[in-house]
Amino acid sequence: MNSSCRRAVRRILLIGLVPLLWCQALQAADHLEEIRHRGLLRWGADAEGGAPYVYPDPKHPERLIGFEYELAEELAAKLGVKAVMVQNQWDQLIPALDRGNFDIILNGLELTVENQQRIAMTRPYYAYAQQLVTRSDTQGLTNLTTLNGHSVGVLSGSVAERLLKEQPGTDWKSYPGNVESFQDLKNRRIDAVALDLPIALHYARPDSALKFSGPPFAPGFYAIGVLKQDTNLLSALNLAIRQLAADGTLERIYRKYGIWDERQQTLKDFQAPATMATGAGPGLRQRLGYLPLLLKAAVTTTELSVLAMAVAVVAGLVVVLVRLYGAGPLRWLARGYVEVVRGTPLLIQLFLIYYGLPELGIRLNAFCAAILGLGLNYAASEAENYRAGIQSIPHGQTEAALALGMTRWQTLQQVVLPQAARVVIPPVTNDFIAMFKDTSIVSVITMVELTKEYGFLAASNSDYIVVGLMTASIYFGLSYPASLCANWLENRLRHDHR
Amino acid sequence: MIIVEKLSKSFNSVPVLQGIDHAQRQGQAVVIIGPSGCGKSTFLRCLNQLELADAGRITIDSVTIEGGHPPRTAAERDRQRQLRLRAGMVFQSFNLFPHLTVLDNITVAPRVVQDVTAEEAEQRARLLLRKVGLEHKTGAYPAQLSGGQQQRVAIARALAMQPKVMLFDEPTSALDPELREEVLRVMRGLAEEGMTMLVVTHEMQFAREMADQVLFFDGGLIAESGPPEQVFGSPLQERTREFVRRCNSNGRGS
Repeated sequence: MNSSCRRAVRRILLIGLVPLLWCQALQAADHLEEIRHRGLLRWGADAEGGAPYVYPDPKHPERLIGFEYELAEELAAKLGVKAVMVQNQWDQLIPALDRGNFDIILNGLELTVENQQRIAMTRPYYAYAQQLVTRSDTQGLTNLTTLNGHSVGVLSGSVAERLLKEQPGTDWKSYPGNVESFQDLKNRRIDAVALDLPIALHYARPDSALKFSGPPFAPGFYAIGVLKQDTNLLSALNLAIRQLAADGTLERIYRKYGIWDERQQTLKDFQAPATMATGAGPGLRQRLGYLPLLLKAAVTTTELSVLAMAVAVVAGLVVVLVRLYGAGPLRWLARGYVEVVRGTPLLIQLFLIYYGLPELGIRLNAFCAAILGLGLNYAASEAENYRAGIQSIPHGQTEAALALGMTRWQTLQQVVLPQAARVVIPPVTNDFIAMFKDTSIVSVITMVELTKEYGFLAASNSDYIVVGLMTASIYFGLSYPASLCANWLENRLRHDHR
Repeated sequence: MIIVEKLSKSFNSVPVLQGIDHAQRQGQAVVIIGPSGCGKSTFLRCLNQLELADAGRITIDSVTIEGGHPPRTAAERDRQRQLRLRAGMVFQSFNLFPHLTVLDNITVAPRVVQDVTAEEAEQRARLLLRKVGLEHKTGAYPAQLSGGQQQRVAIARALAMQPKVMLFDEPTSALDPELREEVLRVMRGLAEEGMTMLVVTHEMQFAREMADQVLFFDGGLIAESGPPEQVFGSPLQERTREFVRRCNSNGRGS
């Protein structure tokens, strides 16, 4: 490399570094100044099924309401800025704050030691407790110990999830939102839901099919989360919350949403406990402890992939045969199936199968729904693979078979399909490998597979990199042999006759 | 053995066959010659229903099919298959099944279509392979054979169904000249055994030697027919004379 070339490279590197350094500088500065400068307080929350915290107004769905929405407006006013909500999946709020997607987390974040290890937290703005909700005809199940042997729904990443994980003998299921767990409770897939009282008050109290079972338990506080270095922002928020508690603003908002109770009195004279010293990251021993959990989840992932692929391979064959050789209307039906399934998101298909079908009286458990959803989705793509394979077989092959007196079906069976199989093996194995990765999506219907387990472990131990690499290695360990197997099969078939 | 009455066929309203009549007795070898696009291949393909005639009637060994529509009922489909079973077809491009060995290429149809036992099908196949001179190639795959060998296997495959007539659609056109003779030798043998044959070809030498009758196709019609010495020696039609003259100067047809 000559010197002018080297200079050019150095210049390019420098130009690339400038924005990086600039970002770094922004990160280091306290966010309070930046917020005041831009006149905007960006607060992170999840408005999906987020009532009564923050949610779209049923009367004007383009507008947000909720007690936290109003609180955010009040807080921003105290800072002399406007508030804007940034939508983010609830159990990923802390990583998103770390990334700088927003300035604060204001969304039912519990004041816990675990959370305080990762971010700084303000004085509390709400005193919550946990509540068990059951169907109105259920007896017993009034506290945690009575849940033994029952399956209980919780919000992913919530305090209730942590409480139930520690409760032996309870079959807990994590949901991405609050609406889905009540849906499953009514569909009798689970026997109870454990959740924060405000959610229970909003969703379960008005529903005659559901009831509060037993008294509230495990009380705690919601507080606002900020980055640890944002000390000025933290004290400004603490001051604002104390003022809002003292002047009755909090009481007014909470009464409006029907979540005021005597516990809230404690907010006025709350004494912040001494902040925890930051613990060291998880050690090797703890990380090795993740392995059995991850491997167990990998078994679920493998089962899902293999069974769903089996469904796809068989259903795809039926679809393609109908599409190519069926009677007129059936042919259109098969074609429509392929187009609709390929043209709509897998996520929505899963929701329809898991939450939609029970409305028609068909209740599948999460495992079956996952296999059906993935299988039928991939069937469309397998059908297209087969079609390409079948159509790649020269027409002379079919003519030769027909001339020998074979029926259409015998021609397919003896001549076309065996040859098409060879053509179709590479794309089908590609799909099989893709299936391993796509199974991660079924966590939305409460399946705990590899990616979900990764989410649990990484979030609760704040160990995204190491757990992430472990999980990725397991995925690779699963898909690479499949890919080797496919190569071997392909070569073997080729050697025979070409 | 073969009776064709008023057979006509169009592709996209372009007439390809315009009312062909043809009758052929058992044991006769008939050779069809004619320029490209004259309809001779289409005629052959209509006989075993790879093309469906628009009108007319085909009878092979007392199985009759009326043209005009694809088979609609199970009975009609069965009749179509019966006709095909009576006519063995040899294609220009061989169309052997590449995923099967030579032996399996020959035994698959007898086993699947005629419910012949595997042993009997294999016995038949070995006899036929000896006949076409390829008994040492039973385990080979088509891709491992030369073109001439592939075409001989294709002939054995058609014969394995014990057809009443054999249809050859330009069986040597895809072959290099030095490989044609081995295929023609097999066909001569068949003709001498008394197989009823209908051959579309450009091999004038073969036509002269082996044909009981030569049909000259032109513009979807049989322009001239007769014994080879007449068609080649003293053709009645100017078009035939022109075609034969050109063939003689090229060694083979266009």
